[in-house]
Amino acid sequence: MSWETYDPSLAAHDLVQDLKWDPALRAQFKQNEAAVLDRYPTMRAEERRAIEQRDFRALYDLGMHPYLGGQLSRFIWGNDAGHGAVEASKRLVASLTGAPLEQP
Amino acid sequence: MAEIVFAAGIPHAPAVVGLFEKAPDEARAVVAATFGAVARAMAAARPDVLLVFGNDHLTNSRISAYPDFIIGLADRHAGPHEWFKEWIGCRDWALPGDPEVARALFKGLTKRGFRLNAEAGPLKFDDNLSVPTVMTELDSTGIRVVPVLQNCTVPPFPDERRCYALGQAVAACIAEDMPAGLRVGLLGSGGLSHEPGGARYFKIDEAFDQHFLKLASQPDHAAFLREITIPRMEQAGLGGTAEVLSWFIVMGAIGERCGESFGYTGWPSFRCGIGGVVWDLTKEAA
Repeated sequence: MSWETYDPSLAAHDLVQDLKWDPALRAQFKQNEAAVLDRYPTMRAEERRAIEQRDFRALYDLGMHPYLGGQLSRFIWGNDAGHGAVEASKRLVASLTGAPLEQP
Repeated sequence: MAEIVFAAGIPHAPAVVGLFEKAPDEARAVVAATFGAVARAMAAARPDVLLVFGNDHLTNSRISAYPDFIIGLADRHAGPHEWFKEWIGCRDWALPGDPEVARALFKGLTKRGFRLNAEAGPLKFDDNLSVPTVMTELDSTGIRVVPVLQNCTVPPFPDERRCYALGQAVAACIAEDMPAGLRVGLLGSGGLSHEPGGARYFKIDEAFDQHFLKLASQPDHAAFLREITIPRMEQAGLGGTAEVLSWFIVMGAIGERCGESFGYTGWPSFRCGIGGVVWDLTKEAA
């Protein structure tokens, strides 16, 4: 990986920050993800599609910062230290590499 | 003239808290030895105030307006921030701040040519301060804390020489701007190799980490600055390994000193290399 594709203007960055700072928005994201994504009018169609399809490779190629990508994976797959965050990390790596789920 | 009485560098990987019980014996032993040694050295040095340099994990600011440094001016610091609590798997904590020292640092670094933000209100703390606090029980010591959050992951960010120079300015502030008799501790919080959110999330660069710990423990900062560069850090893990820039600030402040480390583990599930250094300040800098 490198910073070559990094694009600080990506709307997905603001999505992750808002989810991090707003528990109510996080709950809504779980229940009605589309409604939350609708709040970001500058989000490009391919950016939104990558989020909906859990395609982190595509999202990173569009310019997602990997640290915020990691946090997005935890909103989707789990954030607790003992289980959810490990699962989220495995699924993120699998999406980025195209390899089967990695066993740490 | 205030005095630096304690200096250490440690990682703040959240999994050393949340996955500690699941780790193999040898990995647990390194974690316990490292944080235990830091806690004992800090207690023995009796600092009045601890300046903690550690990166913000995109917790306080949007990426579109990301500061390189934020000094916490508050009289109390508490964490972890709500969303990071289950991620770290740690208890709540609170530390006394030191607004007077924080303001002196803000003013002193500004006049020495460093642009920093200062935050009078509560900062959100993630792994940066939470892990060192709970692993050393810092919140039971009564030591006042001034957090300095830094950017080492949103490019472009201050490089190793800029961070080292900032450390030299921190030393000048302590020596020239802070009250005589004040005992100051310095803690660098971050690293070692890891790639959070990247394709190499479970990969650790043990060769880099071992070399880094060796060089950081030796009083030869020319070699340290020559070999531990941003490109080498990014090679060892993009967006995460550069957290060791917090150590550069501490090393710039204390000058060339010998340090002691307490073992190393690269257990993959920590998703970060683990090792620390406590520097010996009893002898004059080389």
